[in-house]
Amino acid sequence: MAKTKKIIGSIVSHIFLALLVVIWLVPILWLVVTAFSGYPGINKAHFFPTSWSLDNFKKIFLHPDSVVQYMTWFKNTLVIAIFTCIISTIFVLMVSYAFSCMRFKGRKKIMTFSLILNMFPGVLSMIAVYFVMKSIGLTNSHLGMIIVYSAGSGLGYLIVKGFMDTIPASLREAAKVEGASEFTIFIKVVIPLCKPIIVYQIISSFLIPWGDFVLAKLMLNSGISSDWTVAIGLYNMLNRSLVNNYFSVFCAGGLLVSIPISILFIIMQKYYVEGVTGGSVKG
Amino acid sequence: MKKKFLALAMATTLVAGCLTGCGKDEKKNDSSSSSGTTGSNSGVNQEAVDNLISATEGTVSLTVWASEEDQDFTQGLIDDFKKEYPDITFDIKLGACSEADAKDTVLTDIEAAADVFTFADDQMNELVNAGALQEVVSTYTYDVKAETLAGAVEAASMDGKLYAYPMTADNGYFLYYDKSVFSDSDVETLDKMLEVAGAAGKQVAMEVSGAWYNYSFFKGAGYDVTLNDDGVTNSCTWNADGATDVAQAIIDIGKSSAFVNANDADIVTGVTEGKIAAAVSGTWNADTIKAAWGDNYAATKLPTYTVAGKQVQMASFSGYKLIGVNSHSKNVGWAMILAEFLTNEENQVARFNARSLGPANANAAASSDVQSNPAIAALAKQADYAVPQRVGGNYWEPANTLGLTLISGNPDGTDLQTLLDNAVEGITAPVQ
Amino acid sequence: MKEEKKNPFKAMGRGFANFFKGIGRYFADFGKAVVKGDAGVKCSLLFMGAGYTFKGQWLKGIFVTLIEIAFIIMCIFYAAPNLAKFGTLGTVQREAVFDPLTMQQTVNDYDNSFLILLNSIIALFIIVCFILFYIYNIKACYELQKQKEFGQHIETNKENVKSIVGNKFHLTLLSLPTLGIILMNVIPIFVLIAIAFTNYDQNHMPPNKLLDWVGFSNFKKLFTEGMGNYFGYAFKKILGWTLTWAVLATLTTFIGGILLAMLINKKTTKLPKMWRSLFIVAIAVPQFVTLLLVRNFFGDQGIVNTICSNIGFTDWLKSIGLVSSHLNYIPFLTDPHWAKFMIVIINIWVGIPYQMLIATGVLMNIPTDQLESARIDGASKWKIFWKITMPYVLFIQGPALITDFVKNINNFNVIYLLTQDVYITPDQALANANAKEVDLLVTWLFRLTNEYYNYKMASVIGIIVFIICAVFTIISFSKLIAGDREEEYQ
Repeated sequence: MAKTKKIIGSIVSHIFLALLVVIWLVPILWLVVTAFSGYPGINKAHFFPTSWSLDNFKKIFLHPDSVVQYMTWFKNTLVIAIFTCIISTIFVLMVSYAFSCMRFKGRKKIMTFSLILNMFPGVLSMIAVYFVMKSIGLTNSHLGMIIVYSAGSGLGYLIVKGFMDTIPASLREAAKVEGASEFTIFIKVVIPLCKPIIVYQIISSFLIPWGDFVLAKLMLNSGISSDWTVAIGLYNMLNRSLVNNYFSVFCAGGLLVSIPISILFIIMQKYYVEGVTGGSVKG
Repeated sequence: MKKKFLALAMATTLVAGCLTGCGKDEKKNDSSSSSGTTGSNSGVNQEAVDNLISATEGTVSLTVWASEEDQDFTQGLIDDFKKEYPDITFDIKLGACSEADAKDTVLTDIEAAADVFTFADDQMNELVNAGALQEVVSTYTYDVKAETLAGAVEAASMDGKLYAYPMTADNGYFLYYDKSVFSDSDVETLDKMLEVAGAAGKQVAMEVSGAWYNYSFFKGAGYDVTLNDDGVTNSCTWNADGATDVAQAIIDIGKSSAFVNANDADIVTGVTEGKIAAAVSGTWNADTIKAAWGDNYAATKLPTYTVAGKQVQMASFSGYKLIGVNSHSKNVGWAMILAEFLTNEENQVARFNARSLGPANANAAASSDVQSNPAIAALAKQADYAVPQRVGGNYWEPANTLGLTLISGNPDGTDLQTLLDNAVEGITAPVQ
Repeated sequence: MKEEKKNPFKAMGRGFANFFKGIGRYFADFGKAVVKGDAGVKCSLLFMGAGYTFKGQWLKGIFVTLIEIAFIIMCIFYAAPNLAKFGTLGTVQREAVFDPLTMQQTVNDYDNSFLILLNSIIALFIIVCFILFYIYNIKACYELQKQKEFGQHIETNKENVKSIVGNKFHLTLLSLPTLGIILMNVIPIFVLIAIAFTNYDQNHMPPNKLLDWVGFSNFKKLFTEGMGNYFGYAFKKILGWTLTWAVLATLTTFIGGILLAMLINKKTTKLPKMWRSLFIVAIAVPQFVTLLLVRNFFGDQGIVNTICSNIGFTDWLKSIGLVSSHLNYIPFLTDPHWAKFMIVIINIWVGIPYQMLIATGVLMNIPTDQLESARIDGASKWKIFWKITMPYVLFIQGPALITDFVKNINNFNVIYLLTQDVYITPDQALANANAKEVDLLVTWLFRLTNEYYNYKMASVIGIIVFIICAVFTIISFSKLIAGDREEEYQ
């Protein structure tokens, strides 16, 4: 009796899960089917397109025009994302090690101060950032974008520092007794133990350039569309004069971005969960 | 150090003052010559162009912004331009920036904006006010004022000074209708249209909750919004005596089940779905609507509507696309010549042939090819009731809200006069 | 410890008192170092490296002196010309004269108020940093002198270099990130604060026009109402909604994430990894793509509306009065109440997968012995959830919850992408302040700058947002950082 009840309960919860998954995936499904739509505008009345075609993908891969330069954008974004995630990961690890493993005067004050700074929304400071970058001649350059995305990343140390706090101090003490410098301890002892959180950090910083259209649009303002990132390019297709001809291309482009990201996420899931919770166990 | 600086500053002001003086004289001469005593070559000044060519050394770098759809066409014109002046080495970059929001990009950082850019005429006052546009004090290869439609020149001018080169005259709105539903006489009045559409189970669409469109009702009945001399704030008479009749008229229109308040995207969907049989919109949707209605595709001026029992013709904002020269350009001279080249008669005709964009050049616009394009012909008909868009930034949100409230049937039952008073207060509010 | 918890403000007050005492001590120490210092210390007042060089640390001495020289050069060529105009923000307006005959443009040597402002702030920042460094340097030289007097070992040049990766390693680690943060965060914040005291708006746009200082008048505008000023009214309304939204968004996604994680983690659930991955797919698509899709999905003439009206749901909602009778669609994103409701719902859709991932990890670490004993005692599932699971998760996730709350206050993407170009406010007073019911402070601010170039009001709002966020952060983290928890674990 109890067993059948259990089985029924299990079936019910599976059905419920499946229902949730459907809700969560409906918009994604719409994205997928619209990407294969033969009608270029927004199909507002039907869920599934009335005609199917591969034209949108052909346009993206084979016939780029001035509006759709997807491959160039993809390459730009990839370069920016790779450098951004390298620099920000290094910065965050450096800051976290300093705060977590070293003791110096004013440490807690600096930590509180940087936490507060980190709360400052980027939207507010955008225009000032733009002019700072312009005065050093780095607007409209991908180097500038990398700097903009990664320079302030040191402030996001909280989770990584939390993770490092869980590494027993005795390991570091032992290394120190053997005469290792702080630098050696950092590279040889602490970093290898931080693998999950490093993966977490890499994923989160890698994703930034793919989703940002506000800052990127401001910084890359020369109008030369081959300089754009995927986000600006796609967002641009929603312009009033373009949307009726490019909405399905927009969907195809959105779909293509999300495939590598999804795979990255799913493979790294374990590390992500371990990393973020290892860190947040401590806050 | 300080003294030196002061002296320098004084010197520059003196020079500037002198130059302004000279400039003024120059302009006087110019206007007197163009007023027709000599009559010859009023807008053409080959001598100045020759001066410029001989004074030019090295490469001339220019950036041009055109809308995404126009990239290929504009690139062709730029190549032609280079051929036109073979002695000069040009480095002309073409960037994409939609006309509808050129202002946003330009005003964020004028110095970084393109030397020559296209924009919709509604952004004129803000661009001029921020000093982004180079005044067209003189023309060199053709006479802009004489060869262009009067409305377009007006739209490109502020306080009688020309600030931009009109490129197209097709950015306003008018009425699209499906000939299989409406006859030519049906589309004369909105009442009749709603009646016919209701009977046929179709809808008439207009974005009444959009300030750009709902202006049409008030202006049609004689209530206006105008820009003040400061170039930023508005004057508005929408709460004057009798304006409540207009408000009531909009409420009545909204009550009709055959009327739908739909934005641009919804209009396109409605038309392709076959629900909407008539819509107030602009040329940017012409291709989509034509594809949906086929041979029944037709366009005309806006209909009349009923205010307190009388038929009133709906007015509209006229719309032009203009080419401006950045006042911070390092090569103002060449930028002006390029802007003239991009807007001369020949290239306006070419633009119409390639992209179906209605020319602002008077000769080009009068050609039979252009006149036989239904959308452009409809715009020409509406032109008698259209005014250039000269409103300050505070117009939009309050007027959006007013339109929404009225077309929703004034759900809170607010006194109409109060409603209008509040909207006018917002529209005329100073920039805070 | 307990007292501190109960009264964070008292603790803060004490903090301030200590802070000022600290400043007093700081300068007293400096004075003492100057007075009691030997020739080396006194020479350092002029040549900063002298103190070190006299004690044999010539490498450090040269390095410090180079910094001093660089600073002096910066002062002459960068700080002085900009700071000279900082008081007025420039006096020469741009005048350009175009000669129609030669087609050449002559522009006067004009002042760009914004650049003066920006450069002055950078210069001031460098100057303050230098002064601190200067004082530190004198004190360090004095310390060195004392060490010598007491016959202690003085670091050699070699040891100095070694300390870069040794006991001074934190400085090495922090230097580059700090430089980045100063460039990207600190300077922009100061610029923003400065703009709040100027008249930078559509009537005064550099480079063609000059800016002026206007004192507190922008702040006054935001906190008062009437006389054609709607900012006070709009500010109150938007602040209210911002806080409501932040609470709702944080709680719904947090609880939803835990429930979903528990459902997937249940022993009876087959293929937990697959379920998790399916939810992850939903967040792997960039937010601006999914949110714009969802916006069209719920448009007035969108798919959901088509379906709802086909199955009669729209009419049913009309009959119970949730949709006003003159509409033939559900105003998902166009009616103030519906839009707020939908935004929260859509945010649940966006936020739960993230929270689910985090909750999964937290739940894995839950102490199983407690759960077992509760189960043996015959506690019901709900009781276990509320009495054991939730308190544990709250304990672990508490600080993260506050971070989420602050992030939601600044949740630009969700609100902007869902309502931009779609939502029109029916409230005339809000419209007159260029605001909408669904705006958060950040989106309002963004639209003020992006569409109305009203930088001065946007800056004031920005400062307010910053203060709100800072207060929440301080309250939540004073416990975390001030406490000894981090030592506990190591």
